[in-house]
This record gives sequence, structure tokens and C-alpha cells, in this order.
Amino acid sequence: MLRTARVGAVVGVLALVVVLGLAFRHDPQDIRSASVGKPAPALDLERLDGSGRFRLVDYAGKVVVVNFFASWCIPCKQEYPALVRAWERYRSADVVILGVLYQDSRDAGLAFQRRMGGTWPTVADDDGRAALSFGTFGVPETFFVGPDGIVAGRHVGPIDEETLVTGIEAIRPVAGR
Amino acid sequence: MLIVAVVAVLAAVGWSARPRPITPAERADAIATELRCPVCQGLSIRDSPSETAREMRDLVAQRVAEGRGDDEIRAEFRRSYGEWVFLTPPLLGLTGLVWLVPLVALAVGGMFALGLVRPHSPVPATPLVPPSVPPSEVVALRERVRREEAFE
Repeated sequence: MLRTARVGAVVGVLALVVVLGLAFRHDPQDIRSASVGKPAPALDLERLDGSGRFRLVDYAGKVVVVNFFASWCIPCKQEYPALVRAWERYRSADVVILGVLYQDSRDAGLAFQRRMGGTWPTVADDDGRAALSFGTFGVPETFFVGPDGIVAGRHVGPIDEETLVTGIEAIRPVAGR
Repeated sequence: MLIVAVVAVLAAVGWSARPRPITPAERADAIATELRCPVCQGLSIRDSPSETAREMRDLVAQRVAEGRGDDEIRAEFRRSYGEWVFLTPPLLGLTGLVWLVPLVALAVGGMFALGLVRPHSPVPATPLVPPSVPPSEVVALRERVRREEAFE
């Protein structure tokens, strides 16, 4: 009986080590999301600057980086320079950054964008439906939508330039490179 | 008189316990109880005070008002958040293991504990009857016992 118990304990410890080892291999900011691998939600939101609406369907064939942010969010401020650099690098290519203001007032969001130097289209998710349809957990959160309209990737938390470039290049059409 | 009183009481109990149609607010509330808040992850969106939970409750209420079915509403949240969004994991699929593993562990642990506490069956120091007693001696012993019993 004691031998069986010892074998059971060893097997249990080994199983725990394997499970923890597999769990720690993943970057905790690359959370598996139900929306990844599926068609992106049909965003149709009013632009923050009042210049009309932004419909995601109009950008079919382009890479769209959907970035959920808020002006009160410190990590959003931290990641903004990386977004600015990525925008400068890709704005002439078939890549669009879309800022989605979440849980914030339009005035505060617009002031934040102007202060931080963001010139990409930004929309207001006043009722939070866009964020819920993407399955966001909070801000900042970034989704990579491919030219085929499929959500190809997701990053939770502040994103850096390298992650942005990697995410964009992974889904950018070869001809556009 | 007693019979009338009993019938009246039974009728009153039956009337109060009759099935009544569930209101849209109650339906929305029931679904909200099942859904996990992405911000306060240990709480349902019904109990969470977060802004995200409020938005999710509003969405549930709107879908109920639109006449969507419960499963349809659940499916919408499943599409965005996966099975994670449900506080109670489904029985089927890989998540069913969270139900199965504790039961198996309990059974194995119980068997192990029983094996430890069960008193071992006493082993006689020497066999009562030597295995090598010849049959003739057994017959003689039985005859002796019979005679002694008859004598008493």
C-alpha cells in the first residue's frame, strides 16, 4: 500500500510539474481569445473628431490594428509612442491603426490623442459594445485583423513596437512588403 | 368543517405555488448570474460593480427585450469570450475534467485512506490444525469428541 502511495505521489508531482511547465511557457499577455481566428466583429462607430463613421468592412483587404484605449489609462500612455512609430512606418502601406476609445469621454479621448500625437482614425465605443464583441478584458488591448477580416492576434496590456511589427508582418500581404 | 379547512389550505398552497411566467428582468438577471465579469473575475456580472459588468448587463437586457432566446444570448458571449465567460464550466468537453478530476481524486484518496486505517486481519501465530494431520487421526479425534459429548 505504501509503495502504491509513493508511486501515486511521484506521478502527481510529475503531472503538476508538466502542467505548470506548459502554463509558464506562454506569455501571460498573449491570452487565448475566443475572438482570435474568427471574423472580426462588424465595427461601425462614430469617429472621435466628428468626421463621420468608421466601418471595418470598408477596410477589407487591409491589415487593421484595433487598439482599445482610454485617456485615464497609464499603460495606454506608455504604449502610445510605439503606436505612433508603427503608424509612421506603415501608414503608407495597407495597414490601418484604429483607436477605439473605451470607457472614457469623447473630449478626454480626443485631447489625449492630440496631446500624444496620434493621427490615425479613432472612434468612440460609448456603450462598450465593440469592446464586448471583441472580448476585451480592459484597456489597453490590441487586436490584429487580417486582410481577410479574420482576427489573427491579440495582445493584452501595453504593446511595444516589436510586437506591433511582428503582428502586422505576420498577416500583411506579401505583395505589400 | 375540518375537511373544508384542509381543502382551503391545500388550494391556497397550490395557488401560491402555481407556475407563473418569468419576467424579462428576471430572465436577464438569471443569465447575468451565469456570466463571469472580465474585470472582477470571481464575480458574476450581476454582482460585479465594474463598468464592464454594467455594459454586459445592459447588453443582456437589450437582447432579452429583442426577444432573443437564452441560448442565443449565451452564444453571443461565448463567441467573444469563450467558455471562460461562464462561471459554471460545462460538463462536456475538456472543461468537464474540472468536475471529473476532483471526484476521481476523492475516490482514490478515500480508498488510500481506508487502506491506511483499516485494521489488518490478525494472522494466527500457529495454525489451529496442522496441515499434516493424517485423516485417520482426524477420524479418531472426532470419535473422541462424540464420546465425551455423549458422556456429558
